[in-house]
Amino acid sequence: MRKYWEIAKTYMKAQMVWRADVIFNMIFTISKILFAYLLWGIIFRQKSTVGLFTFHGMLSYYIVSSFLSQLEMADGISGEIHARIRNGSFSKYMVIPVGIEKYFMAMELGVVLFYLAFDFLAAAVWVVIFRVRFVFTTDCRILLCAVVMAVLGMVFMVQLNYLLGLLTLKYQGIGTFLMIKNNLAALVTGTIVPLALFPEIIVNAMRLLPFYYVTYLPSMLLTGMLREEALRGLLILCFWCGAIQVSINVIWKKYSRKYDGVGI
Amino acid sequence: MSGEEPSTFSPYNSLKMHAAVQQKAELWKRKRIRRGDHDILCFQGQSWSFLRGKEFYMKNKVIETQGLVKTYRRYRKREGIRGSLASLWKREYEEKTAVNRVNLSVEEGEFVGLIGPNGAGKTTLIKMLTGIIAPTEGSIDVLGYYPNDLRNEFKKQYAVVMGQKSQLFFELTVNDTLRLFKEIYEIPEKEYRETKDYFVRLFGVEELMDVQVRTLSLGERMKMELIVALLHQPKILFLDEPTIGLDAVASRQIRKFLREINEEKGTTILLTSHYMEDIKALCRRTVVINRGVSLYDGPTDELFDRYQKNRKVIATFEHPMGQIALKTNEVRQIEDEPYKKVYEAAIPRTRELFAELMEYEPKDIVVEEEDLGAVVERIYQSEIAAQETGTGRGSGRAVEGAEVSETGATAAEGKEATETDSAEQKSNKKGGCR
Repeated sequence: MRKYWEIAKTYMKAQMVWRADVIFNMIFTISKILFAYLLWGIIFRQKSTVGLFTFHGMLSYYIVSSFLSQLEMADGISGEIHARIRNGSFSKYMVIPVGIEKYFMAMELGVVLFYLAFDFLAAAVWVVIFRVRFVFTTDCRILLCAVVMAVLGMVFMVQLNYLLGLLTLKYQGIGTFLMIKNNLAALVTGTIVPLALFPEIIVNAMRLLPFYYVTYLPSMLLTGMLREEALRGLLILCFWCGAIQVSINVIWKKYSRKYDGVGI
Repeated sequence: MSGEEPSTFSPYNSLKMHAAVQQKAELWKRKRIRRGDHDILCFQGQSWSFLRGKEFYMKNKVIETQGLVKTYRRYRKREGIRGSLASLWKREYEEKTAVNRVNLSVEEGEFVGLIGPNGAGKTTLIKMLTGIIAPTEGSIDVLGYYPNDLRNEFKKQYAVVMGQKSQLFFELTVNDTLRLFKEIYEIPEKEYRETKDYFVRLFGVEELMDVQVRTLSLGERMKMELIVALLHQPKILFLDEPTIGLDAVASRQIRKFLREINEEKGTTILLTSHYMEDIKALCRRTVVINRGVSLYDGPTDELFDRYQKNRKVIATFEHPMGQIALKTNEVRQIEDEPYKKVYEAAIPRTRELFAELMEYEPKDIVVEEEDLGAVVERIYQSEIAAQETGTGRGSGRAVEGAEVSETGATAAEGKEATETDSAEQKSNKKGGCR
């Protein structure tokens, strides 16, 4: 495990090379929450609750969900694998004694830990300055479920992006797959169309997909807005992690021989 | 096996038995016999060779390929938008054989040069030996492993440096990268420090360890690549064009380090290069490969004696010069500019040409080795001529299984190959490096 921890540390160090990036990332996190504060402040001036949320509940949800979604940075993995397979430099990972998938997991962990520290700091400072009464679940089991779900969600996203990247071994381009993934994730989490507009049967079907449990449900659980779906969410996410791992193994076994390392 | 004559060398996976051999060495001592510079250890029908004075240096085949083939499939498209549209419906594929029935055997501690023009198949061969790609046909054995299984135990025993690809993290310092590789290769702290200090001193890069890699020059970066690759003290080092793009001084330094690593650490090195200087300076044995086929496998000296016929002489002048009428025979002018004249001269005529040019008071005269391409082409042509006349092979080092096809692919006949293989084995046993 030490080697993977060192990989994570190396990528953490790489994040800290450019000071401007670090500062702007913090400013971005703070300003995003500031805009949300102003926007929801106007909306909640008229009424005390919107849907299930109070003003502070909404801000808590917003802070947690933006925090979690900012940590989910696995998108770059598929792009990197795709580019490296295409230009032949994927060999870099093949000739060193590491599991390639674990390498990417560790890489993601390194990046996430860096942002975790800074985003957490930024969010905490902001909560203190604007005196947000942070709404948080007090149920330890739900809290644990939410944390595990958030971690599993990130693992799933790394796996998914790794798998999509590996598809380059078979297909020249993976843009279509990435587009489907992004649209599906946006649809399932209600970013494109509010979930309330869909028939219930569709919504239930969508909840069998993993994207719902990556950011949305952990945020709802952490802020105490939901509690019923915790266990079911964990089970579904575990299933998807297992299924995608099987797919990765199959794809790698079947197509790794197609890798021709062109470019070196 | 009683101990009078050694049998063939130990099986390729015998390195795995290294530890066991060490443990039982005391018991086996009585079965040891002396032969030349080596002690031959014979036990239960197998034998190992030890360099006298060094503890249990096993002389094994570390690389062995038989009839290795790699074929790529690529698609052809007619020119223009019409061709692109047509290719949506019907796609034409063709197969390209990058490596064609290559037999290669490398012993521990050897320094082998692998040369050939662009597209010859050198890099493809290296990629197969390191497991990056899988062969289409044939057998391959490196340190007892099938490389494309990509086992971590195997990957810990070799290193590969590609001149145009990097393992370094450009934003970080070399020390950070080395620390990462220490963990990846699970090197104990003490060993890590000792090895790192050794190479940092050897390469003279103490001042550069804490600066960003991206700020290093190409030559400095190549030194760092080598340090990273050698940190875990690999048994085999694969080098693909390590001096590409480097100036003469940096190339010379890299060559010096490689020679020292091979001699001091006993690392087996397989080097591909476009530069004759690299091969001449480092490798006692050379394999010439062209169009995927191994054309020559034998002593480097013999290769150059037989096939390097010319040298390039470049004369530069302070003042513009007109046409120079040379008296020296076997000289061909290949470039004629007012301030610079370039000639290709037969090697025995080089001295004469040099002396004649000196009469014109040049600013500088440089004598260069003939281009690699010309030498390879000469070997290739001699192979074809030998096949056509049926007088046997032009090369004194026939390569098993090669024949000349209509497309120009070469591969050999069995009988001659057997004869020359035994000659090769003798020459290989003489030693691997300079």
